Amino acid sequence: MNFNKGLQIFFSGFLLLALAVPTAIALQDKSRRMEYEIWVELDGQNKMLIGRENIIWVNQTQDAIQDMWFHLYYNAFKNEKSTMLQESKEESFGPLGLTVEDGDWGWIDVVSIKLADGRNLKSTMEFMRQDEPIHPGDQTVMRVIFPEPIMPGEDVHLQIEFQSKIPRGLQRTGYYKDSYFIAQWFPKPGVYEEGKGWNCHEYHLSSEFYADFADFTVHITVPENFVVGASGQQIRATANVPEKTVTYTFSQARIHDFAWAADPNFLKIERDFVADKEVTTEEYEDVSRRLWIPVESVKLNDVKMILLIRKEHKRQINRHFQALKAAIKYYGLWYGPYPYETVTMVDPPFRTGSGGMEYPTLFTAGTSILRSKDVHSPESVIIHEFGHGYWYGLCANNEFEEAWLDEGINTYSTGEVLAKAYGSGAFSASFNRIPLNWFFEMPKYYDFELDRAGGIHTVELDPITTYSWKFYNRASYGLNVYFRASTCLNTLERLVGPDTMIKILRAFQMRFRFKHPHTQDFIDVVNDVSGRDLTWFFEELFFSTLNFDYGISFLDSREKEKYIRGIFDKNGEKEELTRKKVESLRKKAEESSEQKTYITDVVARRFGEARLGGDATLKLKIVFEDGDEEIRLWRGRERWKRFRFERTSKASYAQIDPENIWLIDSNIANNSLKREPSRSGIWKVTSHFFFLVQNFLQLVSGLS
Amino acid sequence: MGILKLFGLGFQTVNKRIKIAVYLWAVNLLFSLVVIAPLYFLLQSEFSRSLLENQMAKGNDLLIWMGDFIFKIKDFFPALWGWILVPLLLYLFFNIFLSGGVIGRIASSHEKISLVNFFSDCGKYFFRFFRVFLIFLVGFVIFFGVVYRLISAVLELWTKNASTEWPLIIVSNLKFLIALLLFSIVRMFFDYVKIRLVIEDSKKAIRSTLLNFRFLGKQFFKAWILYLLVGLVAFIFFVLYLLVHRIFPHDDIFFILFFLWQQFYIFSRMWTKMLFFSTEYHFASLNPSR
Repeated sequence: MNFNKGLQIFFSGFLLLALAVPTAIALQDKSRRMEYEIWVELDGQNKMLIGRENIIWVNQTQDAIQDMWFHLYYNAFKNEKSTMLQESKEESFGPLGLTVEDGDWGWIDVVSIKLADGRNLKSTMEFMRQDEPIHPGDQTVMRVIFPEPIMPGEDVHLQIEFQSKIPRGLQRTGYYKDSYFIAQWFPKPGVYEEGKGWNCHEYHLSSEFYADFADFTVHITVPENFVVGASGQQIRATANVPEKTVTYTFSQARIHDFAWAADPNFLKIERDFVADKEVTTEEYEDVSRRLWIPVESVKLNDVKMILLIRKEHKRQINRHFQALKAAIKYYGLWYGPYPYETVTMVDPPFRTGSGGMEYPTLFTAGTSILRSKDVHSPESVIIHEFGHGYWYGLCANNEFEEAWLDEGINTYSTGEVLAKAYGSGAFSASFNRIPLNWFFEMPKYYDFELDRAGGIHTVELDPITTYSWKFYNRASYGLNVYFRASTCLNTLERLVGPDTMIKILRAFQMRFRFKHPHTQDFIDVVNDVSGRDLTWFFEELFFSTLNFDYGISFLDSREKEKYIRGIFDKNGEKEELTRKKVESLRKKAEESSEQKTYITDVVARRFGEARLGGDATLKLKIVFEDGDEEIRLWRGRERWKRFRFERTSKASYAQIDPENIWLIDSNIANNSLKREPSRSGIWKVTSHFFFLVQNFLQLVSGLS
Repeated sequence: MGILKLFGLGFQTVNKRIKIAVYLWAVNLLFSLVVIAPLYFLLQSEFSRSLLENQMAKGNDLLIWMGDFIFKIKDFFPALWGWILVPLLLYLFFNIFLSGGVIGRIASSHEKISLVNFFSDCGKYFFRFFRVFLIFLVGFVIFFGVVYRLISAVLELWTKNASTEWPLIIVSNLKFLIALLLFSIVRMFFDYVKIRLVIEDSKKAIRSTLLNFRFLGKQFFKAWILYLLVGLVAFIFFVLYLLVHRIFPHDDIFFILFFLWQQFYIFSRMWTKMLFFSTEYHFASLNPSR
């Protein structure tokens, strides 16, 4: 690998600097930022939230800002004119659409919006729709206009009163009976981007979120029998005796969203992640060696782990905590210590449609009552959703515009953590919610294999970097931003080496913590850390729809002809080697058991449109029948290249990319070509399917 | 006669006519070959010269080669339905044809089975049994379209308001069990219709069906328990197959042995199918409808 030593030294210095700032200090950073204080009361009878919020918003740009845009996301559930439900109707991948049943609607009304001096901005309120295609009835984004602009460095104090009807559990938030998962529920300003204006997208079917970091204090009032969990730390609980309610106050600095859950049926369990117990000195030293930073800089913080779990899943409490510990440990060791003091893991309330979703310092997992031990569930969802705390929570990219930066990186890192902590997992199959894994031994797999199997299919539909709601359909969105992006990152890891990959992700994490990075920022980090210009890698695989497929199309070994016919100059005279003469010479050579020479021709081809770039080369390995091997390199720019070998043995097989670096290759089967075919594997696979067909036919014959 | 005695009689009859189970197995084998052959040739063209084929043999890289394979054939998925559906329907109709041979030979006093007498019975009863199949479809629709739906609707009232996943687990399995039991009743009913057509050498499928209501109406539970007893045999074979599957080493050396075990299991299914007919035949012979 062409690794620039000078850049390595530069980078290790950079990392040292980045890590010299302890995380606690990072959280206490007193630079001016947005502040929320929210009071909300749950009206369980009418499924309503009655709230008010005080927002302090600071203009940290050089622009004079005349207006402010807000997300009003509960209006996505208001009627079928909302962008989300319109998109659901337009969705071409049928099973992934949404339907709201009668009576299940949700909405949010801004009752009043005032400046600190009492001036009411409500008359200036209007709903905004700027995402193409326009959905004129959408009410998920509103703006208000200030009487005078907010100048650079100035702040604005807003007091907002709102009422929300909670939707029945459908998409990430809602209620079912007395269970609530409340997300995207309060008026939340968009992100103001200097020179560009407000970045405030509508609630889309295929997208997650984007908001600014802020300090939150939230007071949640619920009936006294409810168990509550929320983003941040609970700082007090006050009983309101006459009303038979309790007000819980939660607080957290430097987060960009706030979610909470309330359910009388939750069990609340707290455990501690004690770094010194969970991580050995050897593990710290190993990571420090791999990252070229001092051991002190990789030390983890203790974290309070809070689990809200449904009673029927009580037997899985340990599974939940084990997975969360593994996530805190490996994300922390590899990508940087978890900076917050708490993490709350919520077993999603039944039928609230809120499973497998991340919010700052809080996430929802998801499990079933009957679970097999050899399946990595709920472990994989716990590790994945906790991991979002890093790639969406801390490096808070715009998920509307560059979802892969969160989903792709996190799918990749989930696979890494899962493999390290648990090894391979079995396929999950169930019948009538009973795990078939109890009866059948299912094949095992690693996440990177599953990601590749899914990710190669969508290459020609959309580039990974497409805006979330502009993908061909939800399947293309999911397969591209999760699986294809993860497979590309696995490819990148194999290309630059696992240690460099960890350095890349750690550098990206530490450089952009509490910021809003873009794809170009990630590319810059990759180039900085690897010491190579890998921009082409992203252009070919992330920004385009080019299929990557290199392979071997031809392999042949033939005996080199020592004696050939024709006229030859010999001692100044012309001599003709006739057919007869050549045959007799060959016969003689065979009788004398003279060493034969073979010419082997191999043709390597670029079947796909995607091309290697920069300093990248593909390895071509030829293995001969006598066991010898030869390696050649190919830059792979042209469509095909012929390689010739002259050896005393015939070729056994030729293989391009023998180390399987290019996992993103959509046809790994054609990466190798044997001179002689073999069929034992094909027989084996066919026989399995054959038996399935026999049984299926017999099943159908039951109708006869 | 007691149920166990009837079961024993049926058992003896099947074992004396074991050749028929071989015919049924051979037909299943042939149809399955037709379905599977294109897959074999596709796999061969894609993988026989690839090193991935070696991994397939070892049971490794499942998702890698499957991913490759699906990527290759994804455009042909709609055609796959046709490829599967046509042999499936043909197999269904062919089994209606074969049922004639099976019941005909069970009912025959001659124990000697030959291809000629087997297939002549197949031909003799095919159209009668085809008519029974059409009536069966009506019965099937009534039971599953009406009775099963009604029962499901009642059960789903419970799941609709469930507060945990337990009711969903219980109800979905209960529904499955009910579906199985309903299917066993419908199947059993029309088995007796066919048997009656053979015993009485009648061509009147509708009349036999109506008479069968009277016949089964009188001794439904006895007939059903006998039927379920044979069903239990099928279930035991299935469990046995699974047990061996779990303990069997899946490497190359045992591959052929395992394949033979699978074929033995398929054969057991044919044998059980005959056992259904033969126990029902003895039950019907000893309990005439009039």
